[in-house]
Amino acid sequence: MEIFGNIAFGLSVAVSPSTLGYCFLGTLLGTMIGVLPGLGPVATISILLPLTFALPPQSAIIMLAGIYYGAQYGGSTTAILINLPGESSSVVTALDGYQMARQGRAGPALATAACSSFIAGTIATLVIASAAPALAEFALQFGPADYCALMIFGLVTAVILASGSVIKAIGMILVGILLGTVGIDVNTSVPRFTFHIPQFGDGIDFAVIAMGIFGIGETIANLTRSGEQRGYVRDYKGLMPTRRDFKIFLPPALRGTMLGTSLGILPGGGPVLAAFSAYSLEKKLAADPTRFGKGAIEGVAAPEAANNAAAQTSFIPLLTLGFPSNAVMALMVGALMMQGIHPGPQLITNKPELFWGLIASMWIGNMMLLVLNLPLVGLWAKLLTVPYRMLYPAILLICCIGVFSINKSTLDVLLAAMFGVVGFVLYRLGCEPAPLLLGFILGPMIEENMRRALLISQGDFSVFIERPISLSFLILTAILIMILVAPAVRAGRERALRES
Amino acid sequence: MRPAPAPLRVPGGAVPSRSFVGYFLSLPWPGMKQRCSTDLLSGLLFIAFGAFVLVYGLQYPFGTSARMGPGYYPRVVSIGLILVGLILTVRSRFIESEATEPLLVRPLFVVALATAGFGLLIERAGLFAAAVLLIVAARLADRDFRPLEVAALCVVLIAFATAVFWYGLSLPFPLLPF
Repeated sequence: MEIFGNIAFGLSVAVSPSTLGYCFLGTLLGTMIGVLPGLGPVATISILLPLTFALPPQSAIIMLAGIYYGAQYGGSTTAILINLPGESSSVVTALDGYQMARQGRAGPALATAACSSFIAGTIATLVIASAAPALAEFALQFGPADYCALMIFGLVTAVILASGSVIKAIGMILVGILLGTVGIDVNTSVPRFTFHIPQFGDGIDFAVIAMGIFGIGETIANLTRSGEQRGYVRDYKGLMPTRRDFKIFLPPALRGTMLGTSLGILPGGGPVLAAFSAYSLEKKLAADPTRFGKGAIEGVAAPEAANNAAAQTSFIPLLTLGFPSNAVMALMVGALMMQGIHPGPQLITNKPELFWGLIASMWIGNMMLLVLNLPLVGLWAKLLTVPYRMLYPAILLICCIGVFSINKSTLDVLLAAMFGVVGFVLYRLGCEPAPLLLGFILGPMIEENMRRALLISQGDFSVFIERPISLSFLILTAILIMILVAPAVRAGRERALRES
Repeated sequence: MRPAPAPLRVPGGAVPSRSFVGYFLSLPWPGMKQRCSTDLLSGLLFIAFGAFVLVYGLQYPFGTSARMGPGYYPRVVSIGLILVGLILTVRSRFIESEATEPLLVRPLFVVALATAGFGLLIERAGLFAAAVLLIVAARLADRDFRPLEVAALCVVLIAFATAVFWYGLSLPFPLLPF
């Protein structure tokens, strides 16, 4: 079997003492930061990103994958222990997980989350390993017009699936795109919006924006929030689920995995959508739906499996098309580019050790969560009881050191402070910052492909509808927009968002 | 082409707030019974940013669709952003959205300034001094400032940062002024 040969190759890359060390460090730090209230995976990855810049590409990506899984898991931990989902994809986990915790079953709930995540991770890894090479081969046929249409499609789906106001999300994407135009124009070598500052020639570092908005901005936001008293669940003795629990949660975990695997591949999809769908599926299938919301173990297993599977398969569009389908993947693209790697269809053939190493390390990262992190649950729970006034100076310090280390640049730190203020203000105005990041990463790609497409067609816009791939993406986009405008769907979306 | 932003002078009858900016944001807008809505304010911000990019970008050649100049893409996108801002602004007159809440500006400024201070200090004075400044200044954002606790926090965090980032990951920053 070719897949297993490839995975074995990946494992041989990933299993060396140093890479295992980075993977472990990533998972550990990722969980540590991700478990802090109010910091989801996007914030966690942004904060920890610069730590990986000094590493060789392979180790950097492997550490990032570790951070990602750690942060995901950290989010579920807070969801279960204090009913405070660190990220939107664990909102659903909080529904039943926190109830389980209140019934004194916090341990099994956490273990269920970790085990179903691991099951999902294993299956999703196999899916990536088998589907990605084929998709990459298909993607080689993509011309510039097709890429352009794909990205617009992705942005539209991202807008529809974003929480909060659609029109504000569109605005934020456009702001992100405009921020992405700063720097020397690749085609004409004209410096754009550089304000005669030489460092802006290379554009604004995306890590600066990410860290400013998500690291510093969220710290400010947390500080201005009124100090709510939350019910901490301190009692988490008896970590392991019983044999009966296992029997109950296995089928939902598998169903969640399937749902998550397929939804994760969709552009604009990803963990959030997967978790919500998996939860409602379980509720429909259950013999007694009233148990949900009152500590049903299926209500933890299914969404956790789904969000982990989706988190993993959302790497597929990234690795095969070079297209980030959500904000976390946008961060990954940025990180890869900083390492001088441009993700795309050629990645598998040009850098097989990176590709397969990453896939293997995803699985290793999942295992680390299970083997090393689960026993540390007690430590994470303790971290939750540390007052915020002790935590935020630490977060700020890590952010600042990280931002400075990117280019050894004072200007970057000042910019990050500015983006922190901007991010906070936008956050208070109900503008989700995630679309901005997506626009910032996708903007330059859209411009480049659009220019290339129109250069080839000599300025004829019909190139976008003449190519079948591009046309199908545009038709899908049009359908999505029509659906969005349809009043019934809008009402449904609002209802769904309210429920969450 | 540049759309005129709505006048910023507003009539009185405002809800008093603790800070100047908070006070400013809590003022009612002309023709509105409510305080300034989040839709209106974000719309105006989008328009302002879009207009700035549009006007500043006029110096870059537009080119043609076949041979786009450096100004083509920013101009198209900034016009789009202005339109989005206009939709939000106009819509806020008809559909009520969440009103802006008075803003706590102390954490905002303190954290931003502390970060900026760190940036200005680290290269010349090294991590130890910059981190102390950052931690002490950041803690001022909190009303609960305990000198001993802050001192302990400084020691622990600097030790952690030195061990992990300087020694472990060998990130490029000096510890002490040279």
